[in-house]
Amino acid sequence: MPTEEEAATSITSTQNDAVRGSNPPVPPKKKRNLPGNPDPEAEVIALSPKTLMATNRFVCEICGKGFQREQNLQLHKRGHNLPWKLKQRTSKEVRKRVYVCPEKTCVHHHASRALGDLTGIKKHFCRKHGEKKWKCDKCAKHYAVHSDWKAHYKTCGTREYKCDCGTIFSRRDSFITHRAFCDALAEETARFTAASHSHTPNHFITSSLGLGQHHFPPNLPLWVAHGNQQSHDHNSIAKHLQEMHHQFTLDHPLVQNPNPPSLYQTANWGFGRDQFPNQNPIMIPILKEVSVPSLFHAQNQNQSCAAISATALLQRAAQIGATTRDGDGDKLCGLYGTTSSGGSGLGSDVELSATLDHEMEMYPPLKRCRRPVEEEIGLGETRDFLGVGMHTICNPSAINGWI
Amino acid sequence: MDTNSKFLHTIANPRINTNGGLLHLDMQPTTSSSSDSAAEGTGDAKWASRLLRDCAAAMSDKDSAKIHHLLWMLNELASPYGDTDQKLAAYFLQALFCKATDSGRRCYKTLISVTERSHSFDSARKLILKFQEVSPWTTFGHVASNGATLEALEGEPSLHVIDISNTLCTQWPTLLEALATRTDDTPRLRLTVVAATAAAKSAMKEIAPRMEKFARLMGVPFEFTVIAGLNRLGDLTKDDLAVREGEAVAVNCVGALRRVDVEERNRVIETIKSLNPKVVTIVEEEADFSSNREDFVKCFEECLRFHTVYFEMLEESFAPTSNEKLMLERECARSIVRVLACDDKVEDCDSERREKGRQWSERLREAGFTAAAHSDDVVDDVRALLKRYRAGWSLLLPGEDGIYLAWKEEPVVWASVWKPS
Repeated sequence: MPTEEEAATSITSTQNDAVRGSNPPVPPKKKRNLPGNPDPEAEVIALSPKTLMATNRFVCEICGKGFQREQNLQLHKRGHNLPWKLKQRTSKEVRKRVYVCPEKTCVHHHASRALGDLTGIKKHFCRKHGEKKWKCDKCAKHYAVHSDWKAHYKTCGTREYKCDCGTIFSRRDSFITHRAFCDALAEETARFTAASHSHTPNHFITSSLGLGQHHFPPNLPLWVAHGNQQSHDHNSIAKHLQEMHHQFTLDHPLVQNPNPPSLYQTANWGFGRDQFPNQNPIMIPILKEVSVPSLFHAQNQNQSCAAISATALLQRAAQIGATTRDGDGDKLCGLYGTTSSGGSGLGSDVELSATLDHEMEMYPPLKRCRRPVEEEIGLGETRDFLGVGMHTICNPSAINGWI
Repeated sequence: MDTNSKFLHTIANPRINTNGGLLHLDMQPTTSSSSDSAAEGTGDAKWASRLLRDCAAAMSDKDSAKIHHLLWMLNELASPYGDTDQKLAAYFLQALFCKATDSGRRCYKTLISVTERSHSFDSARKLILKFQEVSPWTTFGHVASNGATLEALEGEPSLHVIDISNTLCTQWPTLLEALATRTDDTPRLRLTVVAATAAAKSAMKEIAPRMEKFARLMGVPFEFTVIAGLNRLGDLTKDDLAVREGEAVAVNCVGALRRVDVEERNRVIETIKSLNPKVVTIVEEEADFSSNREDFVKCFEECLRFHTVYFEMLEESFAPTSNEKLMLERECARSIVRVLACDDKVEDCDSERREKGRQWSERLREAGFTAAAHSDDVVDDVRALLKRYRAGWSLLLPGEDGIYLAWKEEPVVWASVWKPS
């Protein structure tokens, strides 16, 4: 993927060219194609793996010194004090170059899916087809590209994951597992199904009394062995056993202790907690901008209306999306459009999208994504981590429209 | 009162109290603690082990007087709220007592029903999650199995994972996340959970919507089915699972095979094979209560060995007053009674006769499976996992039949990967 660095380079070279001629205004920003879908006019270059990975491709014809980048070579050549004629670039404006991956089985091996940047194709080749030589010793993840490893190592172990219920985790796996089982997750379902569903009746109402957090039975039933103490002959043992059995049914601490089940405390769904849609702390770890806290942490929201929160949500998402970098090996971008899912809960999703669709009217650049429509499963490109039916915020073209 | 004096001290009215179905000391606060035992330094620190084994031997010899004497002594010193020795004494005493009075089955059933009444989804969830937070005992199996499953099913568009385990689906959120973030094209996932105990069945009602919701959040096309009609795992048939054409099947058995009656284990493994899975991941605790089931003393010793490691591990992993630790210990109590004081077959009750990795491997090979080693990446992931916990945990890689989680060098959990030959 072209990095900012590379983009800057290409812009600079454009400017250099322009300056030589006259004094033009700032050249228009280069329009980027979607990665892997190159400009059809571009020149396709296929390098062998060896050439691709060679570090000094640009060689000075005068002294033979090799450089990683063309600019560096140019700078160097100035030092040779060449006559003016030879200083000119050897040809006219160079055609845009795109590169294909040398690996035959790779999808980017074909010209139609060539990548536009040399560094990009180098990194791609390494990441996908190369040996993962770099290892993070904190978490044992491996990387093929040194800069990927470096970027990871900086942030490894520094992230904290916060669930909507307030618990903080330093480990991603325990965070994920907790999240899936957290009542905050269930609460969100309840909010949106309030109109259509009733709460699933089976929990809470069973006879199982939650034992409570640190419940130690205060008075242990004493089972005194009356009668013969010394000899534990069979009769007395049997009798003791009967006592024991008897004790269970009557004096079991639970029966004595009619605390309301702790489950009921979580029954205050949605009334005190106004965080809409309070999920997706998953956004936090995925985003590299650590300064932006939870995307959906509604600090002072007193909003009972889902529609208002959707607006705030979208705005925030756009801001974050704009500052997000993508493609550092990991699958970034927690937001994708949705695909379908299992049976239950569909009702809620449809409702939700209806509300959000209205909001989306106000923000045209974002494509609307229809929720769970069966045909969309095959698309595979857009997934909804929020469960709120938004199209990808990280889509670059969408970002242009925002900022 | 130090331990030595306690040993010799005679109490006129021995009192045996119950709590949660256990025999234990009366309510005098126990002065004996680990520090006391440590202070002894002469070997009395392991008094429980000695007394218990002596008692087991006496039972085997049918030495009535000795049995009574030892039971009585154990009762004096035991406590489920004391140090590890006292706890082991308490729970094993209960099993010995039941064996002596031929009341194992009744005791076990009572313990089960007490648990069922007192447990809710909330408490079960809290328990499992807390245990996973403080100890890799279960997460080890999850990471190893998920890693192997993901690798075996890479590129498949339609996955069907059949989960026969005791982990209440805590294994799956990380798998869902991996499916969502790792591969380019997220496959569809169908998850079928086999719930054979009453507790599991009721928990599934809570778990199902959560899993579905979470999968939606992750953006993984998801279908969730629970098979709740079985009384025992041994009754599982191929038809129950309804595998569809074009699905890539993975079977995940965590802590499940041991719950099948010993004579039916091979049959269950064959049933699994008949599903034509691409990969089968098996995770079991490393102990053998099966090959020695005719020999009480041997079985007792192995049971004591294993549970000693387990209790010590719990002691060091949890906070001293942890309720979750207590619940896990009580679970062991039931298991111990089941293994030592009950007949092999108890109707509608799980077996609990664990087998070691080596033994399971033999069964799997007989059924036509070949072992597949965990890949280097997965082993790395497991190592990384262990790093996140307190010291004391390590990984053993003796051969191709699987990997072992070790607590203080002692192998405790076995994780393996199998494919049809």
